[in-house]
Amino acid sequence: MEKFKQNAFVKKVGFNRIILVGVMLLMYLMFGALTGGSFFTMSRIMNIFNYVYFLGFLALGVTFVIATGGIDFSIGPVMFCCALVSGYSFFTHGVPMGLALVLCVVVGLLFGIWNGYLVAFIKIPPFIVSMASMNMAKGIAAVFTKTQSVSWPQSSDPAGWYRNLVKLGTIPTGFIIFIVAAIICAIILNKTKAGRYILCLGSNSEAVRLSGVDVKKWTMLAYVICGILVGIASIFYVGAYTTVQPGYGDQYNNEAIACCVMGGTSMAGGLASIAGTVIGTLIISLLQQGILALGFSKDYQFIITGLIVIAAVYADVSARRRKN
Amino acid sequence: MGDVILTMKGIDKSFPGVHALDHVDLEVRKGEVLALMGENGAGKSTLMKVLTGIYKKDSGTITYEGKEVEFKNTREAQDAGIVIVHQELNMLGHLTVAQNLFIGREFKNGIKIDDKKMNEEAKKLFDKLNVDIDPTETMAKLTVGKQQMCEIAKAVSFDAKVIIFDEPSAALTEAEIEEMFKIIRDLKKKGIAMVYISHRMDEIKVITDRVTVMRDGTYVGTLITNDCTKEDIINMMVGRVIYEDPKTVSAVPKDAPVVLKVEHLNAGKMVQDVSFELRKGEILGFSGLMGAGRTETARALFGADPKESGDIYINGQKVTINSPEDAVKAGIGYLSEDRKRYGIVVQKTVAENTTMATMHKFMKGLFINKKKEEEVAQEYVEALATKTPGVDQLVVNLSGGNQQKVVIAKWLTRDCDILIFDEPTRGIDVGAKNEIYKLMNKLASEGKSIIMISSEMTEILRMSDRIVVMCEGKKTGEIGIEEATQENIMNLATREIN
Repeated sequence: MEKFKQNAFVKKVGFNRIILVGVMLLMYLMFGALTGGSFFTMSRIMNIFNYVYFLGFLALGVTFVIATGGIDFSIGPVMFCCALVSGYSFFTHGVPMGLALVLCVVVGLLFGIWNGYLVAFIKIPPFIVSMASMNMAKGIAAVFTKTQSVSWPQSSDPAGWYRNLVKLGTIPTGFIIFIVAAIICAIILNKTKAGRYILCLGSNSEAVRLSGVDVKKWTMLAYVICGILVGIASIFYVGAYTTVQPGYGDQYNNEAIACCVMGGTSMAGGLASIAGTVIGTLIISLLQQGILALGFSKDYQFIITGLIVIAAVYADVSARRRKN
Repeated sequence: MGDVILTMKGIDKSFPGVHALDHVDLEVRKGEVLALMGENGAGKSTLMKVLTGIYKKDSGTITYEGKEVEFKNTREAQDAGIVIVHQELNMLGHLTVAQNLFIGREFKNGIKIDDKKMNEEAKKLFDKLNVDIDPTETMAKLTVGKQQMCEIAKAVSFDAKVIIFDEPSAALTEAEIEEMFKIIRDLKKKGIAMVYISHRMDEIKVITDRVTVMRDGTYVGTLITNDCTKEDIINMMVGRVIYEDPKTVSAVPKDAPVVLKVEHLNAGKMVQDVSFELRKGEILGFSGLMGAGRTETARALFGADPKESGDIYINGQKVTINSPEDAVKAGIGYLSEDRKRYGIVVQKTVAENTTMATMHKFMKGLFINKKKEEEVAQEYVEALATKTPGVDQLVVNLSGGNQQKVVIAKWLTRDCDILIFDEPTRGIDVGAKNEIYKLMNKLASEGKSIIMISSEMTEILRMSDRIVVMCEGKKTGEIGIEEATQENIMNLATREIN
């Protein structure tokens, strides 16, 4: 095992990530066996992918926030708020589809700015800010739509072209877009000034501030990036499922956070891995579909996701303790 | 004078790399106030921590009330009647005075806490001490002085026979100190023995009976307070230690331009009307005892903490510094005394830490030019002889001295003309210390200007061209290295406050 860990390829890719991929494949085979092979059909795989897209964008977004040492519990409801506000505008105010999609991102961006400003400049703890935003997002969506659910156009509708973003014929366009987005996120996090400062300030923000860096600006930027990605997530949510209801969305907070921490992003800040988040997203999505396919209710998944978060954070905390 | 109640004999204590206490003796008598004095790091606090069981002694004996004792923790010491009144008050602000006094040993009425009884007992205690404090008042509403009284009352309520005051007056006003002295005199009459740690010479003269002086972890001697002068005590504190090659002449030309001028800087209690000038190529030492306000001055100057007023001129130009960002733009770099908290990002690499303040120099369009980053970091690793397996090593794996070099590299990359070194060699072993000294001298000779805050007299006398001395938030003097001696620095650092 030690020898395996020291292998150059293993070192470059990361031992934990290889284990994660292994876990993912095992899970897939296990669910496949338990469901008598139905897990290997194209339609099931597409179902899994549908879940991966929106959850993946949420997880990518919250990875940036967690990297700063913060947290965002508003992503799920904000995603729904984006889809509801924009979808309602499309139906009621005749906003063209192209603009409606932009509106999704704009609503997410506004929430990102709001959260980021309060955390970075007003210094309200991220936990509180995002809890408040979560309720505000639900409230705004409900007020805006007069508490009605919104069904986005079906593929047959002339305005239904937006669903091509998720699937074009048999091509899973959504998967391609998600992977491209993940690569861009990885570049931002690892190769740009923004990413460098976000990671550094997550590790020791006072030292970064005393180096003459505008810590507030970069902290806020992490929330803004998160907001944009949440806005994009909402497009993929409606692209896959078309119907959104006000008052929901919280369940995705935990799932997205689980994707991050499972992938090696530390809740203490300073350490983040986009590749890890992507693999984490695949695992959580597999789990979700697997549980449904086995005939259990979604409630079981809540329990399991909760336990995964605790286990992943425990692993991170104990690894740190050993290092000190 | 009363009988001896407590004797510590031949107390020895070592920490990794430091011989903190070297066979120290101490004797306290009933009904006396014994001053315990010494420079920073002389071992006063360590000795008291050994006494109260916070540290375990390596050897030596403690005799208390005729019996040899060894307390395992402060609780045991407390139960035996030895109590410390700390400089930082350990009070819970939102509870009442009485609740604070009896915390952990509340009076109970069944399973209910009996607040009424606690208030009564607290009242009795305050009456005994002649202090006027309402036991039902919320602690946070009391002045610091009154809170200090509560600490003392708490100590007395343990049936204390020996009370240790660790710089009790640091946060008090003159009137509050007077009131505290009244209580101390009262306690003396009751036969309680007290150890009084303080840097304030005037207080020592007023309130103590004898003075025990420590230096570098050793016992120097004990004097009767009434029979000695301030100079006697200072001489014992600084001793006749031969310091390694102290600087005797300033290396700065008389006509060197002033690069930094600070005028009437004010920032809270710890920085009051501080003014000074720094010349090109100069190492300006900031000396003073713990809590003199040197670090606070540096942080206010650097924009790390808010300041109330004061003007800063760089090369004759007035500058506004409201944040570290402004300071860095103005060409000031700050190396904190607490590297781990304020200097480095431990989970990042040597290269990433090196370029922390200069990211803009390493950008190729939108992206970080990691190759250039590593090359520059490598240059500094070689120039500063930083011991690291490579620039991609995480800083957490480096020793203290090498971490310090990484912080220095960070500011050198930035090309700062003014560097503030706050305790540059704290926690660094002797060999690495010399390297840091050489480096500072080299920087100064290359025209950088350095402010060096140091609590080590050796360091101050060895490195500085000029020395600013601070005491309790005020600048008390300025001495050229030609005239500087340990005695006159210590004199300014402990100057009596009127």
